[in-house]
Amino acid sequence: MAKAEYTVLGTDMPRKGGVERVVGKGVYGIDLNLPDALSGGVLRSEHAHAKIVNIDTSEAKAIPGVRAVVTAADAPDVRYGRSYIDRYILAKDKVRYMGDPVAAVAADSQALVKEALGKIKVTYEPLPVVVDPEETMKESAPTIHEDMPLPKNLPEGVQVKNVCGYAAVNIGDAEAAMAEADVVVDEVYETKMIHPQYLEPRIAAARPEEDGRITVWANAQAPFPVRTEVASLTGLPLNSVRVISTGIGGGFGGKGSGVTSSAGLEPICALLALTAKQPVMIVMDKAEETISTTIRSGCKIWIKTGAKKDGTLVARQGKVVYDAGGYSGFGNQAGGRCTQMVGGWYRLPNIHMDGFTVYTNKQVCGPVRGPGGPQATFAMESHMDSLAAELGMDPIEFRLKNVPEKGDGIVGVPKLRDSSLAETLNTAKEKIGWGKVKLGKNQGIGFATGAWIEGAGPGGGAVVKMNEDGSATVHIGKVDYGTAAPFGIPMIVAEVLGISTDDVTVLNVDTDASPWDAGTVGSRSMLVSGNAVKLAAEDARDQILRMAAGQLEASPEDLEIVDRQIQVKGAPSRSVSLASVCNAGHNEIGDVIGRGYFDSKASQADERERGSSQPFTTHAALVEVDADTGNVKILKYVAVHDVGFVVHPKAVEGQIEGAAAMSLGQALCEQVVHDSDGRTLNPTFVDYLMPTINMLPRIEAVTVSGYPGAGPYGTKGAGEIGSVPPMACIANAIYNATGVRVRRLPLSPENVLRALREAGK
Amino acid sequence: MGLEIKLTVNGNTHTAELEPSTALVDFLRDTLGYKGVKLCCNTGECGACTIIMDGKPVNSCVVLGADAAGADLVTVEGIADGDELHPVQQAFIDTGAVQCGYCTPGFIVSLKALLDRTKSPTAEDVEEAISGNICRCTGYTKIFDAVDLAAKRMS
Repeated sequence: MAKAEYTVLGTDMPRKGGVERVVGKGVYGIDLNLPDALSGGVLRSEHAHAKIVNIDTSEAKAIPGVRAVVTAADAPDVRYGRSYIDRYILAKDKVRYMGDPVAAVAADSQALVKEALGKIKVTYEPLPVVVDPEETMKESAPTIHEDMPLPKNLPEGVQVKNVCGYAAVNIGDAEAAMAEADVVVDEVYETKMIHPQYLEPRIAAARPEEDGRITVWANAQAPFPVRTEVASLTGLPLNSVRVISTGIGGGFGGKGSGVTSSAGLEPICALLALTAKQPVMIVMDKAEETISTTIRSGCKIWIKTGAKKDGTLVARQGKVVYDAGGYSGFGNQAGGRCTQMVGGWYRLPNIHMDGFTVYTNKQVCGPVRGPGGPQATFAMESHMDSLAAELGMDPIEFRLKNVPEKGDGIVGVPKLRDSSLAETLNTAKEKIGWGKVKLGKNQGIGFATGAWIEGAGPGGGAVVKMNEDGSATVHIGKVDYGTAAPFGIPMIVAEVLGISTDDVTVLNVDTDASPWDAGTVGSRSMLVSGNAVKLAAEDARDQILRMAAGQLEASPEDLEIVDRQIQVKGAPSRSVSLASVCNAGHNEIGDVIGRGYFDSKASQADERERGSSQPFTTHAALVEVDADTGNVKILKYVAVHDVGFVVHPKAVEGQIEGAAAMSLGQALCEQVVHDSDGRTLNPTFVDYLMPTINMLPRIEAVTVSGYPGAGPYGTKGAGEIGSVPPMACIANAIYNATGVRVRRLPLSPENVLRALREAGK
Repeated sequence: MGLEIKLTVNGNTHTAELEPSTALVDFLRDTLGYKGVKLCCNTGECGACTIIMDGKPVNSCVVLGADAAGADLVTVEGIADGDELHPVQQAFIDTGAVQCGYCTPGFIVSLKALLDRTKSPTAEDVEEAISGNICRCTGYTKIFDAVDLAAKRMS
């Protein structure tokens, strides 16, 4: 698909909403101005595991200016969750991590909120705390959820405790095949918890309306799931709840998993507003967020792989223990995906994996950028390098020997429509200069590949409403936080309708008006809303051309729209303006409203018939390791991706670079640290280290032609896959530089130096 | 209410009251309405609330509002010349350096302060000037590009 086919697609049009953001007029959740709103705040548990014996709110309620104090007793006896429905709006009977919400206050000022929170007397009976999921699985461990059963799919005879998710991969006969291998490598890897640390704090605001409804404002990635849960947890009918998405300052999945990700902030705020009968707004403090909202879990991965002398992979066995935290959250989904991905995306006929997702007394797992993928890949792709070394093979050649091809299956994908993994490997090899660049002392090059399975998943719609001047107003269910909504979506509408992106307005989500959507998650904005909006714009165009056909005395099929003019193909002088047709439409059909939806069932059928199209990637890094300090400096970083057709090159590069940077942060420095009591030791930005501009190189994002994806015009998701390879890529570069394999994140000076010393270097 | 202070923001003189304990970021946002100054870490680490105070870039979350008495402040709202964007602002848009955009005001103010100090900053000057600004969306690559483009257009 050459760019020349298109007028708008493939160009770098300026971000919608860019001007207001650079002049400080971008309105985010935190900038919401809600007249007469009370301030709200949440009391959080000071114990990681304890029984709640009593909560006395009388003193707090007696403070003048305090308008509402709520606990679980003030809410319906209803719980929420995804695979396990295990969590109350506010902790009831027990707290399960330090940061668990226990009570909430609304008052005339923030100072009064603080005072009232301090006057709530909670009597706890502390229980033994477990922070290590391996310990928590043992029979001797304390029980974290008394009434939650073990997963139904657990294999017989497995003796475990506190497990809230089990995933298996069973392909071929791994045990028998392993015995036939010439070389077997058996390793254990470990990753730590990180927080997504989007910059805009979470907010929630709620206003009871005169008609008995409630309006909720949220800077959440999934306004419709928030609506469902607010209704359920406050006891209001669904149609009495309206959720409006504010502008959003970053999310990365951290604002993604319904109300789970915010530790219930939206329903808590709604409960306060309903109790006080006044609007309430809560703004979280960043340290409060680090201890209470959802995170990327740490996990431990056992991986053993056998190969033939020529490098052919024959068998893999392994186990994943994935930390869910105090509630199941997104743990089962992320732990399951992690388990699959340790199985890998190479040709491997025999795989057995067991994945356990386990409750602990820590923050709850959420769907942070590529949930489960970066951790799995740190283990899997480091392990591939260990195997290459054991076999005495070049790491690129070893991988190329095992790449899947068209028609092959990989874990989670029965049949690939095609494969571009080899293309990304070869391009990365060339771009980084493997075998060509002269390496200095303690310098090394590492590679890691990645995949991020794109499947049919939930559907979603779009509405394109034409205005009488020929401009278009677009409703989708995805929010604008700098991904497809302000870049690719308006471009598709402009392309189809022959108008400029200046003529397209994409509205943010309002559950009263927008089409339902599962959320701006899973690298699915182009797949779902992109496909839907293309069909909606085509539907609008067809209606317009039918109306214009009479005026131009031509059939609709012979018409096209070019630069806001409807003209006869091949005879452009026979034309009429788009605006005049839209305007005249008022007297015929009212207005032109195009509708489209992403047809998940059709997409599934297509996958079955033709195979599934998947994105693939290879990253390459050149690093220098300081043998005295253990410090790792990245000198060059290349991220090669097949993301199918590229609608907006700079936006796609930006997604890849940002995703890579987040995982480079986890590779080098990021981690949430706990003591044995479950206390977070680094909740503020002073102690939670993140990459700044002087820590990172300019990431070179390269897109290869690959093969078309299931998105509009052949796009594939690009938001998460960039976060998959970096941790392994850096670990492999350190190995190449020093001969030392570091199997535990972060690859901080401390951990690298320890590994060097242990290896006698 | 406590103190009454007088200060200049983006060339406009304001007289307003504030509690002695109010942080400058809150005073600018909530009392004076400069919401382009972004609130984030409250510990002076992320740079989202950067403003120029008497010629120097500061994190307004770790400055007391009262300390701005008599000061001359510039926020992101005061950097464009009417409808004409500053070259740094235009470059952020043109290079795709604005994703969610929440960190953008802080970066633009830090770079403006740098360009006020020196007309031809070195790469090290630039890195130093924005090493206190965290961006979680872009991985900084497009921000490097924006700085390069702005420098090229200004030279």
